[in-house]
Amino acid sequence: MDVTFWGVRGSIPSPGPATVRYGGNTSCVSVRLADGEIIIIDCGTGARNLGRSLLASGFGKGKGSATVLLSHAHWDHIQGFPFFGPFYVPGNRFTVVGGSHSSELLERVLERQMAAQFFPVQSYRNMGAQLEMRAASEDREVRVGTARITAHPNPHGPTQALAYRIEADGKTLVYASDVGYDKGGPPEETVAVYRGADLLIHDCTFTPEDQAQRITRGLSSLADAVEAALRAQVKRLALFHYDQDYSDHDVDELVLRGRRLLDERGAQPIEILGAAEGLTVRL
Amino acid sequence: MRVRFWGVRGSLPVPGASTERYGGNTSCVEITSAAGTRIIIDGGTGIRRLGKELMRTEFESGQGRAHILVSHTHWDHIQGLPFFAPFYREGNHLFVYARQRDDQNLRSVFAAQADAPFFPVSFDRTRAAVAFRELHDGVKFEIEDVQVATTRLNHPHVATAYAIAADGAQVAYIADTAPFSDILFGQEFLSGPPSAHTKLGRTDKAKLKAMAAAVVRLCEGADLVIYDTMYTAEEYRQFPHFGHSRPSDAITVCREAGAKTLALFHHAPDRSDAEVDTMLEAARGQARATAKKLEIVAAFEGLDFSLGKV
Repeated sequence: MDVTFWGVRGSIPSPGPATVRYGGNTSCVSVRLADGEIIIIDCGTGARNLGRSLLASGFGKGKGSATVLLSHAHWDHIQGFPFFGPFYVPGNRFTVVGGSHSSELLERVLERQMAAQFFPVQSYRNMGAQLEMRAASEDREVRVGTARITAHPNPHGPTQALAYRIEADGKTLVYASDVGYDKGGPPEETVAVYRGADLLIHDCTFTPEDQAQRITRGLSSLADAVEAALRAQVKRLALFHYDQDYSDHDVDELVLRGRRLLDERGAQPIEILGAAEGLTVRL
Repeated sequence: MRVRFWGVRGSLPVPGASTERYGGNTSCVEITSAAGTRIIIDGGTGIRRLGKELMRTEFESGQGRAHILVSHTHWDHIQGLPFFAPFYREGNHLFVYARQRDDQNLRSVFAAQADAPFFPVSFDRTRAAVAFRELHDGVKFEIEDVQVATTRLNHPHVATAYAIAADGAQVAYIADTAPFSDILFGQEFLSGPPSAHTKLGRTDKAKLKAMAAAVVRLCEGADLVIYDTMYTAEEYRQFPHFGHSRPSDAITVCREAGAKTLALFHHAPDRSDAEVDTMLEAARGQARATAKKLEIVAAFEGLDFSLGKV
């Protein structure tokens, strides 16, 4: 299982020299399974570059198919959707899975982004590829080839964001972006979803100090991410969804500090890394 | 007056090493008159940093006033607004101007951007006083010491061009627009370039001609014309139905209007810094042959001009 980061930023893209190393695009991760299946998690602006790269393969000829998992519909997780090139090639097929209660609701959410006053294409139906909308439900697994995918709603301020657990090729990936736990940290049922993951991609928007100063909108600090990794005894933790004002240097500091926090808790075997655009982690 | 660019990109923000010099933020230009009247044209992602800078001024204590002129409500021209800090400080006065629509009032278009499930802070929770002014095509009005003129552009769902005059200087903002030759844009979706069957009728041709003449009038004698030059000639041949111009279109308008400086603007997301350089050189070459006195620059984040009295 190859996991590649295309956008690692939260809230809004932050172009500029200060973010060149980790990248300024909003959330998007791709997963390539051993059997060639492709899973895309979230469609922030990073999805544009992922699309460009996929167009060089069968997707450029209308022979591609992939599953898109959306954690929630805040802009930084869907704003790359209209700019994902493979959606415009007839013949390509996509299943879009999201946390709405029904496929109709999910469709309506995505259509609102495409509406004429905001975007010239006016509807995702004008894009060309075949897009099938599907509501994720907690008690039903999604199957993609040999992969088993489960969705778990995490609290995200006044709303919820889905965490996804993907098991395939004998490995487990968990994506948990945009989560604000209650005071006690991740509850037991959430820890069970993360448990033993080979890679946990976890929201790490802030340092604990910055988090304390901001209005609570349901986002994690470095301490929350480390706590989740510890409780779930994951093998590797990828920090993700950095605040738009954090420079490359600030993110370097987050990673170093995360290492220290893990070491202090006796968790030397847990690896930690800062998600960066273009980075591929092979599981 | 001072003119400063905060976002120069079209379509969507493009962070990364290849856009570092010109900048990856979407459209936003700040114009401040010598008397201190603050005008902002478009609220692409560039407006976020402008907002942060304004919070170091009277906006921090809730005593700021700014006028935001919106060319049209495609995402790349409004997506930064929810991140514009002065909205969230009580006491600030913000005035938003955009073209009137038939179906929806302006406030609801902007509020929709901040609604669930898209954004955590609803528009009702902005603390500043926000007033909307809906504009008719071609309207002229004043903002304090600044004169504003408008005209309709040729873009899907229609966009508005602005001319800003103050301090004995004039700036025109022409984005987004297609040339006034091949397609007359309206509300309908165009799936591809016009075919032989969809040739322009006489009425449409006349409308485009009138639109072009009005744009030239708007730019007449301008010290600076900021123009949507997203496409090369080759790209325009492929995508005339997307509603953007080439540098040659901007040069023609500037020449006819006797404008002094042209800023290439609304760079395509795929355009690297080196490619913008190349486009700029090519445009200067063209202008040497046809518009000798016209100066041409390619807009970049942080570029600023002092025009007239400052």
